[in-house]
Amino acid sequence: MSKKREWTLNIIGTFIVLLFLFPVYWMIITAFKTQSEIFQSPPTLWPKDFRIQSFIQIFQDNVWQYFLNSLAISGLATILVLILAVPSAYGLARFNVRGKKMMILLFLVTQMLPATVVLTPLFIVFDQFSLLNSYWGPVLSCATLGVPFSVLILRTFFIGIPRELEEAAKIDGCGRFKAFIQVIIPVSLPSIVVCGAISFFFSWGDLIFSMTFNRNQDLWPLTAGIYNAIGRYGIEWNTLMAFATISVLPVIIIFILLQKHLVKGLVSGSVK
Amino acid sequence: MLKKLTNRWEGYLFVLPAVIFMLALIGYPLIYNIILSFQNVDLANLASGNKSFVGLENYKELLSQGVFGTSVINTIVYTVGSVVFQIAIGFFLAVFFSMKFRFAPFLRGIMMISWLIPLTITALLFKFMMGANEGIFNQFLMTWGIIEDPIAWLSSPKIALWSIIIANIWVGIPFNMLLLSTGLSSLPEDVYESASLDGANWFHKLIHITIPLLKPVLLVVMMLGFIYTFKVFDLVFVMTGGGPINSTEVLSTLAYRYSFNEFQFSLGAAAANVLFLILFVVSLIYLSMIRKDEVN
Repeated sequence: MSKKREWTLNIIGTFIVLLFLFPVYWMIITAFKTQSEIFQSPPTLWPKDFRIQSFIQIFQDNVWQYFLNSLAISGLATILVLILAVPSAYGLARFNVRGKKMMILLFLVTQMLPATVVLTPLFIVFDQFSLLNSYWGPVLSCATLGVPFSVLILRTFFIGIPRELEEAAKIDGCGRFKAFIQVIIPVSLPSIVVCGAISFFFSWGDLIFSMTFNRNQDLWPLTAGIYNAIGRYGIEWNTLMAFATISVLPVIIIFILLQKHLVKGLVSGSVK
Repeated sequence: MLKKLTNRWEGYLFVLPAVIFMLALIGYPLIYNIILSFQNVDLANLASGNKSFVGLENYKELLSQGVFGTSVINTIVYTVGSVVFQIAIGFFLAVFFSMKFRFAPFLRGIMMISWLIPLTITALLFKFMMGANEGIFNQFLMTWGIIEDPIAWLSSPKIALWSIIIANIWVGIPFNMLLLSTGLSSLPEDVYESASLDGANWFHKLIHITIPLLKPVLLVVMMLGFIYTFKVFDLVFVMTGGGPINSTEVLSTLAYRYSFNEFQFSLGAAAANVLFLILFVVSLIYLSMIRKDEVN
């Protein structure tokens, strides 16, 4: 490819991405504007009056609590997903268990189900087990999003690991389980991290489970908090956008750190 | 023989926890939801357990409500509208970024941010941008002279559903692009080389080679898009809440409203089951398409 053509493509590509991500820029920049500047016409692409007032206000309004709740729910759900999914994916890759095809099918199908279908029954069941108005309702239900996804990705990955690796460990006197912990998990750590990150994203984005299972506002994650704030702040868009920016920050940071691996994992997890 | 047996026994220890978890939290509720839809459960008798069996009454009531038909049609329009544009735009971006220039992988990856943002936030952001007066959409369109009067993006019953579709297209483009890019990269290069020797131009190659060869991938992406879009909840719930005058009500928001605003749990369950039935049929078609290479 000629140098000139390469440069043209780079510039067009960058332009497309900037245009596409304009809403994200608009969200962040609005958070730093004053209320009157937002309603000004024509709109300013960069704040004339750069203020951090909106951020101060939401932190005074307890956005920390929402943030910590989001972290707790997503973190616990992710841990639960990994504890369940990693061994299961390994088992489905290495052992000839009866009903293997059905189980894989189960994971494939459950991945496609809408939350709405299980929401009412789960509400009733959680009510019976006194799991409403605690972290457990959202944690358990959010984990159902990550488990099938992770099992399917990791199974494909485990199939690709040569069996000799565990067999060598066995000769050294390891049992099946010990070989799994000491040999397989370290080798597959990058894939496990990707599954963990994606499960974290799934839970971080949840609104419906948290909102339905928790009437206690002190336990709400950012998504439920921001939904509630729409009424509270009305058209104070700078405050709402500050809230939105804070909510998006962690996922963007994780994404930037893991970008290459994540993109690969997402592809293999979705098409399979 | 003995070794094989212990092997299998050990295998269950690895496999079963996740299977049991999914059966308990998805399988059981799914069946419970079907039972619920044949009972009469509301807030009053939820705790008492006095739940009478009413046969198809809930479904009859559901069908008698005008909003049910509206929400089915809205769900279909929303899904088809979203998927068609997500794939069309995603495809052209995939073709563009499959040209090998230096920043292509990075730029393509960074676009995934729109997919990662929680839908609640995306919904709020588009609600802001689609504001009648302060919204940047109307501001730009009016400054450039494309429209004279502001568009009522979310408050006009005729336009609101399409406004949500626009937001959803934005969310879905990078994911479709990513899947289609993978498909593109697996196409055989020698076909393109021999086509070039025959004097085919860029457009000919696209129409006569790329699209036909990519058909199986396009079909899979379409089915997946349908399945994931059909269950829309957050975007509609946050952007319009189903309004104005039910013009954006979809099956999942309708089911949610029955169950958790009106506390008619059985009616909500019936509405959710209609959603489930449609998705189940589509999922079966999808699974039969991919099954050959997956389950072995």
